[in-house]
Amino acid sequence: MILLAAYGKREERRMRYVVRALGWTTKIFWIFIILFSVTSAYSAMNVRMGFGEPQVSLSSEFVVISIPLFINNSGLYDLSELNVTVDVMDYNGSLLLTSTTFVPLIPRGSSVETAHNVSMSLDDITSKAQIYLFNDTVFNVNMSMKLIFAHAIPLQVSINKTIPWGAPLYNFSVGQISYDPYNVTHQRVIIPLSFENHSPYFGVSGMMRVEMYNDRGEVIASGTSSLDVPSYSKYEGQFELIADILKLTPSGEMHFYFETSAFSFGPVVMPYG
Amino acid sequence: MVEKGNTRLFVRKILPKAFKAALLAVIAYLPMYFLSALISPIQPFFPWYEPLTNIFTAAFIFLLVVGVFSSGTVFQYMFGVARMLVLMIFFIYVLNGGIITLAVPVEGASVTIMLDITVVLAMLVLVCLLGIAKNVVQAIDFVSHKAEINEL
Repeated sequence: MILLAAYGKREERRMRYVVRALGWTTKIFWIFIILFSVTSAYSAMNVRMGFGEPQVSLSSEFVVISIPLFINNSGLYDLSELNVTVDVMDYNGSLLLTSTTFVPLIPRGSSVETAHNVSMSLDDITSKAQIYLFNDTVFNVNMSMKLIFAHAIPLQVSINKTIPWGAPLYNFSVGQISYDPYNVTHQRVIIPLSFENHSPYFGVSGMMRVEMYNDRGEVIASGTSSLDVPSYSKYEGQFELIADILKLTPSGEMHFYFETSAFSFGPVVMPYG
Repeated sequence: MVEKGNTRLFVRKILPKAFKAALLAVIAYLPMYFLSALISPIQPFFPWYEPLTNIFTAAFIFLLVVGVFSSGTVFQYMFGVARMLVLMIFFIYVLNGGIITLAVPVEGASVTIMLDITVVLAMLVLVCLLGIAKNVVQAIDFVSHKAEINEL
């Protein structure tokens, strides 16, 4: 009986140790969680991040838009695996360009200055310019920034923005061409032109050059004219060329070249006759 | 005589428990109150926080009070286990399973912030499980001690 009581007492004491150990472990965990939460919130408030003024540079094959990016981590924890991605898609969801910047580690108490480079090949620009100079559309810009805070908490911030694109040469059209006698060998060709500048970002100001070809592919006349069409305004004008009567044919092509402050593009081929 | 005995029992046993329960209820309610006050300006971004939080708080405080009143019995530990379970479910619910997603409209753009705090949630759940284990061990200890006394 006494032995049984002594055994029971020992078991009871063991149980108490287990209970005490569990109690202390719980308390230590609580303290750790509270400390980690408070210091994380404090650290997150001490992280400064910003973008600088974008700079555009041109190489033989690419246009590079460089956006300076600075991160000042004066918090208590490291930031790791910072990944900034920008995707630009057109209205039907096809990817126009994508760019990524990766910073492996921003230690606590340090700052990082880098640049997010968005590059686009000139071939792509030329092939797509035809669409975007003459047609209104929308671009979907997805920007996402991922990082791991304190090597434990992944954070992702993503911005989705739809940017309307207004075509600077919307509804570019050539009216009915008329011919006036100029002299014995030449004729005056009057070409009515019209378009609307839907672009909210820039005016169409610069020069337009026209080359007129006959049905044999010979240049029969050419000329330049200045353009100054502000945003959201319509252009309606006439373009006069002096053409050689002997080379003039009832049908052919006109090639338009644009040299403006915002873009250079050409030829835009329009048939006549 | 009987009335006097009842009053003495009330003063000696029930009143201290009532005080303790009231004090613990106030202490348990304070963090919830401050948390609600802290996030009230950004409440629209946490639409899931408000509706069931008050119910969880009420359930937690109820189990706390009942646990205090049932101290000295095995029910104290059972209510302790229930309290820890409520707390664990509350954490899982309020932290949205560890993935917090906020959608903030800013100047025509939609900004989505996603915070993965599964590590913190795992620690909180672990603390609750430790609490449950502690209550279970205490209950076993209590029952075996009682059985021992009866045998002796």
